[in-house]
Amino acid sequence: MYFQARKIKYILTLIFLSFIIAPALSNSHQVKDTIKIQKKDTAKVQVNDTTKVPVNDTTKVQKKDTANLQVKDTLKHQLPDSIIYKQTTFSAEELIRGERLFFGLVYLENKSVNCVSCHNTNISDTLNWNPDALEISRKYLNKSAFDLSKILLKPLGKKMKEVHKGFQLTSEDIVLIKAYMNKFVDIGIKHNKPVITNLLLLIIAFVLFLLSTIDLIIRRIFKNRQINWVIITVTGIFITWVLAVNAIAFGRAKGYSPAQPIKFSHAVHAGQNKTDCNYCHYTAKISKTAGIPPGSICMNCHLLVRNGTRSGATEIAKVVGAYEANKPVEWIRIYKLPDFVFFSHEQHVSAGGINCEACHGKVKEMDRLYQVPDLSMGWCVDCHKTRKVNFSNEYYKTYYSDLYDSLKAGKIDSVRVIGIGGRDCGKCHY
Amino acid sequence: MKKYWKDIESKYRKEELKVIEQTSDENSLSGLLSDQRKDIPASRRDFLKLCGFSFAVSALASCQSKIGKAIPYVIAPNELIPGEALYYASSYINGNDYCSIIVKTRDGRPIKIEGNPESGITRGGTSARVQASVLDLYDGSRFHGPMKEGILTGWESIDKEISSKLHKIVEEKGTIVLLTPTIFSPSTEAVITGFLNKFKGSEWVRYDAISYSAIIEANKISFGKQVIPDYRFDKADLIVSIGADFLGTWLSPIEYTKQFSSRRDPEHDMNWLIQMESNLSLTGSNSDNRIQIKPSQETAILLNIYKDIIKAVEKRNIETPASSVDISGISEKLLLSAGKSLVISGSNIKQVQLLVNEINRLLGNIGHTILFDSFLKTHAALDSDMEMLIGTMKKGAVNALLVWNVNPVYTWYKKDAFAEGLKKVGLSISLSGSPDETNSLVQYICPDNHYLESWNDAEPKKEYFSLMQPAISQIFDTRQMADTLLKWSGSTIQSYDFIKAYWVDNLMSRQSEFSDPVTFFDHTLQKGTFEPAATTVERGGKIRSVGTISFDPHSIKTVDNDGKNIVEIVLYETIALGEGRQANNPWLQELPDPVTKICWDNYVSISPAQAKEYNLNDNDVLNLGEVELPVHIQPGQAYGTMGIALGYGRSKCGKVGDNVGIDVWRMLSSDKGNIVYTSKVEYIIKTGRIYPFAQTQTHHSMEGRAFVRETGLKEFKNNPSAGNEEHAYNLEHNKSLYKERKYPHHHWGMAIDLSKCTGCANCVIACQAENNVPVVGKEEVHRVHEMHWMRIDRYYTGEEDNPEVVFQPVLCQHCQNAPCENVCPVAATNHSSEGLNQMIYNRCFGTRYCNNNCPYKVRRFNWFNYSAAGTLSGNLRDIAGMTGDLKRMVLNPDVTVRAQGVIEKCSFCVQRIQAAKLKAKYENRALLENEIQTACSQSCPANAIVFGDMNDRKSEMSRLINSGRRYNLLEELFTMPSVNYLTKIKNKIL
Repeated sequence: MYFQARKIKYILTLIFLSFIIAPALSNSHQVKDTIKIQKKDTAKVQVNDTTKVPVNDTTKVQKKDTANLQVKDTLKHQLPDSIIYKQTTFSAEELIRGERLFFGLVYLENKSVNCVSCHNTNISDTLNWNPDALEISRKYLNKSAFDLSKILLKPLGKKMKEVHKGFQLTSEDIVLIKAYMNKFVDIGIKHNKPVITNLLLLIIAFVLFLLSTIDLIIRRIFKNRQINWVIITVTGIFITWVLAVNAIAFGRAKGYSPAQPIKFSHAVHAGQNKTDCNYCHYTAKISKTAGIPPGSICMNCHLLVRNGTRSGATEIAKVVGAYEANKPVEWIRIYKLPDFVFFSHEQHVSAGGINCEACHGKVKEMDRLYQVPDLSMGWCVDCHKTRKVNFSNEYYKTYYSDLYDSLKAGKIDSVRVIGIGGRDCGKCHY
Repeated sequence: MKKYWKDIESKYRKEELKVIEQTSDENSLSGLLSDQRKDIPASRRDFLKLCGFSFAVSALASCQSKIGKAIPYVIAPNELIPGEALYYASSYINGNDYCSIIVKTRDGRPIKIEGNPESGITRGGTSARVQASVLDLYDGSRFHGPMKEGILTGWESIDKEISSKLHKIVEEKGTIVLLTPTIFSPSTEAVITGFLNKFKGSEWVRYDAISYSAIIEANKISFGKQVIPDYRFDKADLIVSIGADFLGTWLSPIEYTKQFSSRRDPEHDMNWLIQMESNLSLTGSNSDNRIQIKPSQETAILLNIYKDIIKAVEKRNIETPASSVDISGISEKLLLSAGKSLVISGSNIKQVQLLVNEINRLLGNIGHTILFDSFLKTHAALDSDMEMLIGTMKKGAVNALLVWNVNPVYTWYKKDAFAEGLKKVGLSISLSGSPDETNSLVQYICPDNHYLESWNDAEPKKEYFSLMQPAISQIFDTRQMADTLLKWSGSTIQSYDFIKAYWVDNLMSRQSEFSDPVTFFDHTLQKGTFEPAATTVERGGKIRSVGTISFDPHSIKTVDNDGKNIVEIVLYETIALGEGRQANNPWLQELPDPVTKICWDNYVSISPAQAKEYNLNDNDVLNLGEVELPVHIQPGQAYGTMGIALGYGRSKCGKVGDNVGIDVWRMLSSDKGNIVYTSKVEYIIKTGRIYPFAQTQTHHSMEGRAFVRETGLKEFKNNPSAGNEEHAYNLEHNKSLYKERKYPHHHWGMAIDLSKCTGCANCVIACQAENNVPVVGKEEVHRVHEMHWMRIDRYYTGEEDNPEVVFQPVLCQHCQNAPCENVCPVAATNHSSEGLNQMIYNRCFGTRYCNNNCPYKVRRFNWFNYSAAGTLSGNLRDIAGMTGDLKRMVLNPDVTVRAQGVIEKCSFCVQRIQAAKLKAKYENRALLENEIQTACSQSCPANAIVFGDMNDRKSEMSRLINSGRRYNLLEELFTMPSVNYLTKIKNKIL
């Protein structure tokens, strides 16, 4: 009996550990989804996207209420605009109408595009050029609804003119939309939680594994022990596989693509406008770090360029605003090596002659940047094993004269990085 | 082979361990030795719980990867490249200490000090204090802003208040006194002059805690020059020093070490040093002959030398009392090297210094080894001025006192008198940047910048100028002292403009290279130094006729306590702390004294014979009347004397330095207006208590094997490998089971010349600063957990009561047959293709097998989380606040900060090797001569450490490793180290 009790305890410990590992699974899962969506959605994001937005739970209730609300509408329409814009307190019903207007759930005759189709209410994994609901609500928090109506109905920007074309919102609608949007200032906008199928599978596997094990020990349900053994083996292999895969991915962030404070697109800058990587990341050739360009570098162009073809004025205004307020933009760092690894851009770019794409991928095609390699040591060493060294450098001629001579004599066709100490631990770890 | 021993216990090999009694007295470290974590038997359940918990914590920690931010500049400074070091030439000035330096900054913060090789004074050398000064910058206990009665206030209001008060005092014809140490900055002097002119009736008093006023006064009498001359140890064939520790603390030790060690090359003319002293000092340890004397015997010794010399030179006979110390032969030797000898004394008694002057004059040393053309400007204060000031203060005749960078409440021998006088001063203002005992008693605090935040200049020696420039903008709301005085004088000019104007007006005309003021100033600033007259001084300067002076040897009284039952006390400065200015610097506190190897404390050094006589043991606490101090039995301490270090027992300097050691400044006295650094006690009481030291002494004993090889100059001249005969034998007979590995491309190595190394410990701190070596604290050092990658072993040879001393810097030997590498179960330590023994922290999981298998004991284990790099909480051990955000700014970003549970050790500064190789590749060239310098070799004031590629046949390195003096540590083990030592050659003539 004691023996069995002890086994159960061990099993409980395993359960405990499994719960600890769960968050890791969800994290890595999320990252994987990102890449998939990234590929799918780049086309879709091309503005003027009028496809229906996922319908809110309130849809069913909506049909009933619409009539009541419209009665109220007609009453209020009598009031002059100046009074409507001054409304500061709103009933719950009014706020619901504001929400529905935002989500396009109120039937409007001219079939205007609803707000949410362009302005996110969730943090998305893909690049949406348009400002999200939170940004707009922040911007207009201390401004009147009249200001909002101007930009809604008579926008100045080229792109907004196109999108907001034919908007026929009443003054009251605008007031209510603004009132609804104000809530974002308080609650912010949230991440979309991806569905975690893998984790569910893992939990099920665990439960099965446990039940079978318990059954095997206590022997009650199945008289045939073979069934238990099969279940234990199958779930065991599955659990081990999932754990192993995730353990290897621990702390690695391949595909990491966080939302940046400014919707900066490398595809626009490096791709369409053909800006050289070294123009902004000007220390890549001369320093350990490639460097994030200071605001002044941005301003070299954005002193004049104030309107983006796709983003309009909003995003560029953030760069200019930060520069004028003498505040740096707090970018989210994507490529990050642990502190015990020393990597020098100068070594690889200048001395090694490696181009940026070799590690960072096709940045020129990325709207939203993501981490291409997993930055594992295996990835580093694989390259060191295969990459040829440019032996024309005087340094190598002097100190690696033996290799240089046999290279010249044709005895060897090339020297790989590994041949000049590229696998010494102390080259990167010190 | 001589028998070397490290301390008295190991000499007699006492096997039994001492039982240390615990007492409840506050002085004893009760509880310190006891293990706080009591040994409760742990059950399997607890073990599993812990396993689960630790796994949970580590798993959680790694799951939630923090969102890192990349924050660029808004407008990047032109000269700054993120990730690359930027260097500024500057000057280190702290009280009387001076060093020309280069400050290494990374991303706008100073992280390392190097010596400036352009300087004609320090020539690229530094000292431990200079190296550690960068940490003072990030000391959070520095004043954060101007304060009135202890409350932070603004500069504007405080300026207004003080200015009006000062003007009122002038109107009422009161006295304003400015109290500073010796100021050798010409521009600051001009600022002060301006201030004194503005406020009529104000005075400027200079006070140096370690006083050399007797030399200054004696020179005034002897040569009509009230200065300290330029001593040239490089020009002296024979140096006779009586109690002057010129390699450690006396006047300008970095400069003197450079000069002295330049003459310790046995292949050229070697000098000869005779040291007569009571304490075993660094200079005494490096001397060729050491004679133990009591301070009271000094006068008689000098008189007898004087008698012999005057008899030979002027054919005059004078009568002197006989000396009780045997000094036969010294006078003859001095006469033989007349004009090329140097007699100095560390005494601050005027009659002794007059006698020294006379001896040097008769020997014709003036103008050769003692130059008055390029006199020292770092020490000029007279003790009598201070004595007078206190008298005036006590009378209430001082209306305002401005104190800057002096701390008389701590360092003055009658500190209570000063504090009492201070109370009677109407307006007391401190301009010092960090808290001390004096400015805790003043009304206003107008804090000065740290020197790394300041503009300044210096003229430490006549015609040797240098500039100081800020390497970072002010961390706290502080303002430079010169700026404060300028502001109060009603000037609108800033100190930068003032200095620039001063240099253009006064110094530009001394050169002809640059005609444009801006170019002149910028070039000088870049170079750091400006030495218009250096070339003439190099030629020896003019020989001044020093006419006969009124000197009557009979007027000199000799007090000889010999035979009487009196113990004389010699108070001295330590290499690390000096007069205690940097007491709040944990690097310096943890630096073991070169000789005693004790850190974090001061103590009474007592001779072994006397200890036996009084039945004293190490660690016994003694009562010396005013103070109680623990005993350290010091071989080589003169019988009848005791040595105690000043600079300890600070009470208001900050968290680290407060209450470390005992304050003994009260034991000083005054002789004819000059502070005397000796004292005497007629009785001592053994209290019966025990006080443990943090001592690195017996930790690394190599058990009497031949690791320091030594020979005399004569033997060396006959046979270049004298004393090193074993090397050839070992080369022939050593065989390895392993296949020999070739390093055809680079093979990094080091050569340490034991003849030149003085053991000054500069390299220990240089290494600590470069490689992020943690501070562990007294308790951990006591438990043999110190972390220094570079240590200096000190061994005694010969008699216990009069030993000879040798120093040996020991670091990782980077063995080609490394015993550590074979035993690592995870290959966390292995060999690189360039001959380096690599240590991979992220691979290490802490078995410590390598540490056990290392014959040199150079590997260090992180027993605790000393640097806050670990992920597990509760393991942090940070006694010195080194893990705070501010102090962490000193970390070198090119070196990993190690977490707990891993081994670390010297890496041969691989980060510097990598950086230099990259630079060469970038510039498409081979490496330059001496381009790669490790932290220890770069700033060595003795040039004892040489680093380089052993494959490079043209290098200095090659020459040294092919010399007959080269050997390896424990070479009989055939570990084939890459660190080579050169036999120590002593100049044994007498």
